[in-house]
Amino acid sequence: MADRVERLTNLLALLLETREPLSLVAIADEMTGQYPDGESARRAAFERDKAALRDIGVPIEQEIMSGGPSAGQTRYWIDRARYEMRGLELDGDEARALQVAMAATRPGSTSGQEALWKLGAGLLDRSAPVSAVLPDLPALPLLRDAVARRTSVALRYRDLDRTVDPWGLVLRDGFWYLVAFDQSRGERRTFRIDRIEGDVRVLDGTSFERPEGFDPREAVPTDPKMIGATDVVPDARVLIDAVRAPAAVAELGEHRVVARHADGSVEVDVPCANVPAFRSWVLGFLEHAEVLSPEEIRDDVVAWLEAVGR
Amino acid sequence: MSGRPKPRPAEARLRRLLVMLPWLMERGEVTVAEAAERFALTEDDVVRDLELAAMCGLPPFVDELIDVFVDDGVIVVGVPRLFTRPLRLNAVEAFELLAAGRAAMELPGADASGPLGRGLAKLATALGEDDTSGVRIELDRPDIADRLVAAASANEELAIDYWTASRDETTERRIVPRQVFADRGEWYVSADDDRSGEVRTFRVDRILRAAPTGRTVVPSDAPLPTPGTWFADESVRRAVLRLSPAAVWVLERYPHDDDVSAPDADGWVTARLPVASEQWLVRTMLRLGPEARLVEPGDLRDVVTAAAGRVLARYRDSRS
Repeated sequence: MADRVERLTNLLALLLETREPLSLVAIADEMTGQYPDGESARRAAFERDKAALRDIGVPIEQEIMSGGPSAGQTRYWIDRARYEMRGLELDGDEARALQVAMAATRPGSTSGQEALWKLGAGLLDRSAPVSAVLPDLPALPLLRDAVARRTSVALRYRDLDRTVDPWGLVLRDGFWYLVAFDQSRGERRTFRIDRIEGDVRVLDGTSFERPEGFDPREAVPTDPKMIGATDVVPDARVLIDAVRAPAAVAELGEHRVVARHADGSVEVDVPCANVPAFRSWVLGFLEHAEVLSPEEIRDDVVAWLEAVGR
Repeated sequence: MSGRPKPRPAEARLRRLLVMLPWLMERGEVTVAEAAERFALTEDDVVRDLELAAMCGLPPFVDELIDVFVDDGVIVVGVPRLFTRPLRLNAVEAFELLAAGRAAMELPGADASGPLGRGLAKLATALGEDDTSGVRIELDRPDIADRLVAAASANEELAIDYWTASRDETTERRIVPRQVFADRGEWYVSADDDRSGEVRTFRVDRILRAAPTGRTVVPSDAPLPTPGTWFADESVRRAVLRLSPAAVWVLERYPHDDDVSAPDADGWVTARLPVASEQWLVRTMLRLGPEARLVEPGDLRDVVTAAAGRVLARYRDSRS
């Protein structure tokens, strides 16, 4: 029996070279001695090889004969135009730049290395003086593909099954967001991709139009305290002591300061459209911050703290 | 790619062969050593797989399919017929390239009209991205990050004021920046630190001031932490938390051990998280409030309760 790599290479070559689709019997005939003689063993070995080739990304086409003496028989081939990478001619410095980019953002990625080799770039260097860690989520490649092809997807989010038109992906503050038109709700929604429950399914054959001039950055709220904001965003007044006042003012901006006290503390007005996000923000200051008003938010924070460790 | 060589599975060998062959064909002659290094293989693996490829072929074309031979450490490729081009990018590879390129454009020093910008534009076109709205990456950074990157490339020493969250105090120290990175929405700098005499990693947004001391210092050769894994250190003490469904975001945001329990009937899970500092744990527990319980260690439970008490005292005192 030939080495498995040899058999896979031969099968790949045969399906690429053939002028007409081939049945398994014809394939075994061409590849003399490489597949078992028994029908079921041969079928099993071929299915394993076919799966292996598809697994590495080889598009194997198949058709089922509908008439004539071989009706019902499946025939296989590879369309060279779909197999080969085309339309991406990079200059040497461009390929190297992508290699550096990969080293700086996805240093351990085997798929990234594989992609670079396909572009003619070399081995991924594992250290870069400036870098960013991109969160890795299994749904991302498929969602990107669906965004580019304008194909709807089915997903489950917050216990609801939804059909959505994916408009764009944004990485902000370390999280990936999907901006999409939720068909079930009839409106645009933003989804945290890591909170999608289960698998995302591409609905092949569907298509949609994305609004002209759409920019996903505008659709994702910059500040979690603003999620759910309507036109009028209520402010909460917060007193921050001298220890943390400079950092808080630097974060919020001078225009949020409503009073400065002699002891170095400041009073700031903080937008509070989303109470959990606001609470999380203010508690990050520990005893260095205190909500002064409105009363119901102050009470909320107190009740929350009383429940700690209960 | 490290340690003892293991037998390589057929699929991995074929995959490597399909990227190696087009590269060899374009060059015609390459040393085995160069090919081995480029494709992260041993020289023996390169020779074995190429010799095997040379044997591939179907009657009546046996020996003509892939015209390659190895002679005295040099690979020679004849007139190519098949496998002249690499296999197209699959969805994962396409995403990896696009995301890496777009992210790198957000790093200090990126140039949209340079090679990366041009390569990325060609890639986006080939992947059917008709504009840049499909995948946007934001790595907003404090202004000081660019200063740190410049210092790292010039081996400059900086005097910084740094707010340490775990002790809630500002210290002045001298650092020589060595690497700057973004992770989980924050920017960090790893630097030789004069106070500890070690490599330390600092949150860039907590550097309140950075001024050059005028000295140029040869950086130490102490190993740098690997971004992405740098705080999942085995030696760091662990806390065991019970988390409600409303609190599981903690596991998305912070590193944790792999042994997260399955949700119970109410959706609560138990997880083990490294405690980089007590102050971090205290803050996180206050933020989670009734949505979390600290199971272990007991001494930190008292620390958390005391911290909640201090904040509450402030609210009571101000209205009494």
